[in-house]
Amino acid sequence: MVEKKTKKETSAKKETKKAAAAATSQAASPAASPAAPQKQAKVGVFICHCGTNIAGSIDIKAVQEYAATLPNVAHVDNYQYQCSTPGQKKIEDAIKEKGLTGIVVAACSPRLHEPTFRTATKEGGLNPFRFEMANIREQNAWVHMHDREGATSKAKDAVRIAVAKASLLQDLFPKAVKVEKTAMVVGAGVAGMQAALDLANAGIKTYLIEKSPTIGGRMSQLDKTFPTLDCSQCILTPKMVDVGRAPNINLMTYTEVDSVEGFIGNFDITLRKKARGVLTPKEAEAKGIVGGGCNGCGDCEGVCPVVQPNPFEMGMKPRKAIYIYHPQVVPLIYTIDFESCIKCGLCVTSCGDKKAIDLEMKDEFEKVKVGTAILAVGFDLFPIEKKEEWGYKKFDNVVTSLEFERLICASGPTGGHLVRPSDGVTPKKVAFVLCAGSRDNTGVGKPYCSRFCCMYSLKHAHQIIEKIPGVIPYIFYMDIRSFGKAYEEFYYRIQDEGAKFIRGRVSHILENPETKNLTVFADDTLLDRPVQIDFDMVVLAAAVQPSEDTNRTRKLFGVSCSMDGWLLEAHPKLNPCGTTTAGVFLAGVCQGPKDIPDTVASAEGAASAASIPIHKGEVELEPYFAQCMEEKCAGCGLCVNLCPYTALALVEKEGRKVMQVTEAKCKGCGTCGGFCPGGAIWMQHFATPQIMAQIDAFLLGGEQ
Amino acid sequence: MAKAKGYPEALETKLRDRALHADDSNPQFTKTVEEISRTIPHMCFQCGTCTSSCPSAPRSSYRIRKFVRRVVLGLENEALTDPDLWLCTTCYSCTDRCPRDIAPTDTIMAMRNLAFKRDIIPINFLKTVQAIYKSGHGVPNNDVNRAARVKLGLTADPPTTHMYPEYIKGIQKIIDHYKLKENADRIIKEAEG
Repeated sequence: MVEKKTKKETSAKKETKKAAAAATSQAASPAASPAAPQKQAKVGVFICHCGTNIAGSIDIKAVQEYAATLPNVAHVDNYQYQCSTPGQKKIEDAIKEKGLTGIVVAACSPRLHEPTFRTATKEGGLNPFRFEMANIREQNAWVHMHDREGATSKAKDAVRIAVAKASLLQDLFPKAVKVEKTAMVVGAGVAGMQAALDLANAGIKTYLIEKSPTIGGRMSQLDKTFPTLDCSQCILTPKMVDVGRAPNINLMTYTEVDSVEGFIGNFDITLRKKARGVLTPKEAEAKGIVGGGCNGCGDCEGVCPVVQPNPFEMGMKPRKAIYIYHPQVVPLIYTIDFESCIKCGLCVTSCGDKKAIDLEMKDEFEKVKVGTAILAVGFDLFPIEKKEEWGYKKFDNVVTSLEFERLICASGPTGGHLVRPSDGVTPKKVAFVLCAGSRDNTGVGKPYCSRFCCMYSLKHAHQIIEKIPGVIPYIFYMDIRSFGKAYEEFYYRIQDEGAKFIRGRVSHILENPETKNLTVFADDTLLDRPVQIDFDMVVLAAAVQPSEDTNRTRKLFGVSCSMDGWLLEAHPKLNPCGTTTAGVFLAGVCQGPKDIPDTVASAEGAASAASIPIHKGEVELEPYFAQCMEEKCAGCGLCVNLCPYTALALVEKEGRKVMQVTEAKCKGCGTCGGFCPGGAIWMQHFATPQIMAQIDAFLLGGEQ
Repeated sequence: MAKAKGYPEALETKLRDRALHADDSNPQFTKTVEEISRTIPHMCFQCGTCTSSCPSAPRSSYRIRKFVRRVVLGLENEALTDPDLWLCTTCYSCTDRCPRDIAPTDTIMAMRNLAFKRDIIPINFLKTVQAIYKSGHGVPNNDVNRAARVKLGLTADPPTTHMYPEYIKGIQKIIDHYKLKENADRIIKEAEG
């Protein structure tokens, strides 16, 4: 055992290759085991009861008796909870006493306890990769709960297959790679800003990438925040200023991620700096324009003749072709919308000596190297006009909640005076339609709960009560989900202030074409009476969905998404910020609907997780790399193009071409190994003889 | 002092136990309705979109939401004996708008079938059966209609069994196969004597 521990990686590799060559020549016979030069395989099998989780549906004793009859099995045992300290001790002791060469634990999913048992295997003095898990819980006991006989027989199969592989397992050594001490955060809403600030404050240089001309995201569009009724801009702008000033944050607005290469610790990311048409003071200085660059004076905006709707104001306020979203933008740099710019040059003249405007600017690309990345790409509103029954975009006075935020906001298009879009009159009766497009299984809306609409609609009701004397807000709801801290108290307060609650979903809305008033139809399910009430204005609490660019961005980083498009976390409870791609983390709503407190919490979690590999300085990669058996490799190079991770290359060796693997890039997917026409690629830990042995064990029922 | 009319029976009716008890419910009823209707009433979350879409609800005591609830709880007798069951116009507005993609209309149709198996059916529905058996039409053509059709430049009778009475036989064969007419006649006779 000592000998194994001191073995260097290179020698281990050499041995692997030698063994591999031998193994493939006579596939799957026990003599082909790479461990064969050392000694006959001795496998220990441990069966876990997992309380009654497994023992309740599987006859543990029968499985153990069967395991003892299998070839190469030198030890069998069972335990109530194999993952407990005494359970692990059993494994360690058996390795020492019986001189085992491989361990099989028949228990739960390897996703749960593979690391536990690998550690136990290592503690017993074996290489941790000489461990194989047979999943007899998730894939057996739980799904065959009422078929004890069938489940027991399936457990025997699983153990037999695992033993076949364990007999052929080899020593493997994880590879350590250095981690670049730089991070990237994609998206500069409140989640991205918080994550970037945390990383920067922890001493990590951080690129903060934002596709819009300003940071702030959705939160900067809100008027007030529930349940404390803080002014959203007031609590956000200090953070925006911090982001703009933090020496460790390299803020890049109006920039998108163009491509991503590499792996944890060493991502090579190409950024597209979209042509903004305006130079920052720094950029101007680099071009030799002393004291030049945009200082946000706005002279250009004054002379620009092109008028466009401002997306920040949900199109309810005009902007020019050269614009900023609002007065508090960070960075305070103007941007030209080249789609609508007519290049008249008036802005260039008005800018004068600052020479900040370049009408011929082109997109630029910049390559950066980062160790870890956080995606915080946020959300959009679901296009609620698709639910035709509520008449959005058909009836003037039906607005979305985000439009309402702008209309009630002092810096918004109406200076904070809520008015009807049809005639500018202050509404006296306003309906709030909750679950508009959420909790909808028709295929048109979204099946999930958008999670923060209940609370902001309560806040909306409060805001109009506060601003418009005599107004009556009606809230049409199915359930009020006031789950957060001080949320239920907020609900109580709004009800006390006079908001009317009707428990019923709005089926449809009709407009009076003359008055532009709206009739809302619902069933008061508590009264058991259909209601038809006329309103001056209707606010739809529209469902949220992943932002437009989410899908493209996630593919660049190799992150999965769930059926509804939200980015997929590594584990919904125990690893909500991680993803299945090492080194890439999630913050905020892109992982699923969250209110501001949860978004900030998730951002801090992601920042903490993303800083760990950077602070450690290196990461261990699982040694499931492809290996080239050079004596068999014909140098055809077919595998090189197939590799999805660009991990393979052809190199000259001893006068001929052979394939070489960059182990740090290889994910062990097996694409090359499965394809190689000469069988010259050895997939460590999933080698052909190991897999063939498993298949034989299954099909032949243990008979060789 | 004279007792109030109907006292104490009225009081007893008023104070009778209205609680839902476990044995009020027949789980098989839920399954049967789902099988016949081929829809998923057990997914209903009682939002009321159906009732609020219903043209019948504001003008009657018919509550489609309540019927779906009865299906979920297996309240077979309560559902099948409620005369409101027959107030659905089958306009399918509820089915169009249900956010859980249930077809409430189809559950009503399923319950009507189950009720009919127990001879629970309004006489006017049975008379419709008789009319279809006789003429192929639930609402046969009449003189007023004929005049209107001619005025509009149409044939006096539409191109249905009215114009081709030889096809009535086929319709009768279908109705006979399901013993629809036979049962209708029987129930009407029992009711009207």
